Amino acid sequence: MSTADRLKNYVKAVSAVALGKAPAGRNLTVFPGDVFLVSYLRSGSTWTRFLFGNLVHSNEAVTFANVDRLVPSIYALPDRTLRSLPRVMKSHECFDPRYRRVIHLVRDPRDVAVSFYHYNLKTRVLPDGYPMEDFVVKWMNADIVPYADRLGTWEEHTLSWLRLRSNDPNYCLIRYEDLLANPTGELNKVVPLLGVEAAEQRILRAIELSSATQMRSMEATQSEQWVTTKDSRKDIPFVREAKAGGWRKQLPEESVRKIETAWGGLMRELGYALSASEQRPAAQVEKPYATR
Amino acid sequence: MRALRAAWSTLRGRQLAGRNATIYPDDVVITSYPRSGNTWTRFLIGNLIYQDEPTTFANIEARVPEIYFNPDHVMRRLPRPRILKSHEVFQPHYKRVIYIVRDPRDVAVSFYHHNLKAGNIADGYPMEDFIPRFIAAEFDYRWGNWAEHVTSWIALRENHPGFLLLRYEDMKKDPEGELARVAAFLEQCSFRKIDSSPQMLKRAVELSSPERMRELEKAQAKDWVLTKKTRQDKPFVRSAKAGGWKSTLSPQSVALLESAWGDLMKRMGYELAGVHATAASE
Repeated sequence: MSTADRLKNYVKAVSAVALGKAPAGRNLTVFPGDVFLVSYLRSGSTWTRFLFGNLVHSNEAVTFANVDRLVPSIYALPDRTLRSLPRVMKSHECFDPRYRRVIHLVRDPRDVAVSFYHYNLKTRVLPDGYPMEDFVVKWMNADIVPYADRLGTWEEHTLSWLRLRSNDPNYCLIRYEDLLANPTGELNKVVPLLGVEAAEQRILRAIELSSATQMRSMEATQSEQWVTTKDSRKDIPFVREAKAGGWRKQLPEESVRKIETAWGGLMRELGYALSASEQRPAAQVEKPYATR
Repeated sequence: MRALRAAWSTLRGRQLAGRNATIYPDDVVITSYPRSGNTWTRFLIGNLIYQDEPTTFANIEARVPEIYFNPDHVMRRLPRPRILKSHEVFQPHYKRVIYIVRDPRDVAVSFYHHNLKAGNIADGYPMEDFIPRFIAAEFDYRWGNWAEHVTSWIALRENHPGFLLLRYEDMKKDPEGELARVAAFLEQCSFRKIDSSPQMLKRAVELSSPERMRELEKAQAKDWVLTKKTRQDKPFVRSAKAGGWKSTLSPQSVALLESAWGDLMKRMGYELAGVHATAASE
């Protein structure tokens, strides 16, 4: 880092703290009643925020312009602001013992890889034409971009929540794939944690208002108003396929093999069938310990 | 007011690093739940690596700094590879970790006294009332409870090459043997050459004995960031023993701890008192 850069960072850090503008992130003040939607990156958390927001707020439809107010991300706003907002929040953190009520969203890592590849093009982390094989190798080593690397690998991230909380009544695991296939059933599971009435009408409305078609048309007009997309390339969409299994067409065979070799045990535990013909034994996983 | 104070400390570069500390891939991080022998381990390692001058409470922060008491930019200037002290639960970016685990029944007793010293509980506060609060991680809740802490590291890192698991009790039984394991781990982490000959191991253990640490504490407690604002009538270096819980904890408290965390305790090699647990649940 050059002296000028260091000085710039210093001034930025001081003024962000002084003006109370530093996003909360890991420094978030956590209250016991807070509900967290946690997931690894590119696992459907934005869609799920729309679903949750539309479920909780029955008199206002979620848009990209208001999602940070209705279902705030801990990375978008300062701690001070978050205190006065609804406390169903989105987070990408690894296991944090302070989070007591957790809805954990997981997605097939082969699809996560494809989605994150495109997202890195959109955010200009990778240049057009960057080989996906090379990306996957670096991604599996958590060596792409600091904000993502900090979260650990997909496996570490997923295991950290699963092993610590899977016996906890205030923890709910949902798979992106199940949410796509049966949104009503999956939303019914999280309704108690969100603390809303499980009226069917309400759930159907939330699904309708959060459909991929709806979200794409909102992105077209609102992407400048959303902190996540406003500085990114506009020729690549944020709401991409919104499908499960896209990896079959897009992910090179070599990359599939690498992912399945490294994380096959956990993938099978989560119900993601491996494509490799030879079936590997499931990883030796200890039963989770009762922690509370 | 809070924002102003925070800005002022950022302005002076005094903001403590804590969990936002920069961690380099070659850093070795000594991690444990509080009151598990972390400070003793820092002394042992400090005395092993710096063989010129004994480690004291006055120089420990410059040798094996604690992330909660030092600003990031100060620690960034230390020679690499660094050895840092942390109490964090599983952190994916800690690539090389020395993890210390201690019998939670002893941790509970030690933590009780630590909270007396820190002024968090009053003299005479009943231990029976403390134990459930300890299990619920009411003190230092950002690190979770003992079981969450241990599980997070064991489930994610056990058997990884960058992870060394130490048990406080094994260290008490055979400090030189366990310190030799630490030295081997540090060397495998491409650390600078360490003279871990038997004499040097013996020297490090002697320079880190409870007697010596108590003496140092007496002279330096007011200078050390961890102890200077705490009650000076209570020692930081306490009994430094394993199994003290047997004479301190009531059967009810033991039963409470064992019914909450028994499986994990057994897995870590801590024999359960058992009988009491059944007696209490009847």
